[in-house]
Amino acid sequence: MKYMLLMMGTQSDFDSYAKWPKETLQANFAFMHAFNKELKDSGVFVAAEGLAFPDQAKIVRAGSDGEPITDGIFPESKEFLAGYWIVDVESPEQAYKIAARASLGPRPAGMPGNMPIEVRQVMGGPPEELLR
Amino acid sequence: MKYILMMTGTKAGTETYKAWSQKDVETHFAFLHALNQELTESGELVVTQPLAGPDEAKIVRAGKDGALVTDGVFPEAKEFLLGYWIVDVESSQRAYEIAARLSAGPGPGGVPTNMPIEVRQIMNARAAEAKGAK
Repeated sequence: MKYMLLMMGTQSDFDSYAKWPKETLQANFAFMHAFNKELKDSGVFVAAEGLAFPDQAKIVRAGSDGEPITDGIFPESKEFLAGYWIVDVESPEQAYKIAARASLGPRPAGMPGNMPIEVRQVMGGPPEELLR
Repeated sequence: MKYILMMTGTKAGTETYKAWSQKDVETHFAFLHALNQELTESGELVVTQPLAGPDEAKIVRAGKDGALVTDGVFPEAKEFLLGYWIVDVESSQRAYEIAARLSAGPGPGGVPTNMPIEVRQIMNARAAEAKGAK
């Protein structure tokens, strides 16, 4: 079963990441690097990506002529995807355990709590009978 | 440059899909299938994945002792990722064009959904590490 682990944050969360000291960033990248290696070594790793910061995020819709209409204004409460992992595991519980590990990435001293990780199953695709 | 195109929706929004007729659902999937094939042939599609509905979504945190804590309660306004496409394109404009194509996918009665698609650049890990090491 494939699961996606999503690291989410609001614009203000990202603003605070941008102020992290160099040591924290380095510790965080080292943690992610070791974590990814461990997932690969244990054979559960499928993919992982980090996304650019949300200040360049755009919402795109098709206009009446089909041309893209872009918008870059978001509500303050909007959660942006910061990055994700896809893991191939035996059970949802195994995915939750891996998410709890990802939740432990180093943060600056004094920052509250561990990072929440959203866990969702990845589907194989639409049912065969719907593909014509 | 790689971009991720994200289709998102609230739980209430995803409930409305359940009311689509079988024919509308088939038309929509046929549209997505054809678009995926076109993007594969043009060499732009890196990967696309649909996600299971938000009903079984969980938020996981490590507790104080490192043990996992799961939570399945979300604010009503929360937007869930429904599926995504990663495309490798020459410009952001091309990524927006592909997003607009997705947005124009047929809804009930074949009317375009005009669904919003969030477009974000995928970060190059090496560039990020270099930035962090400055």
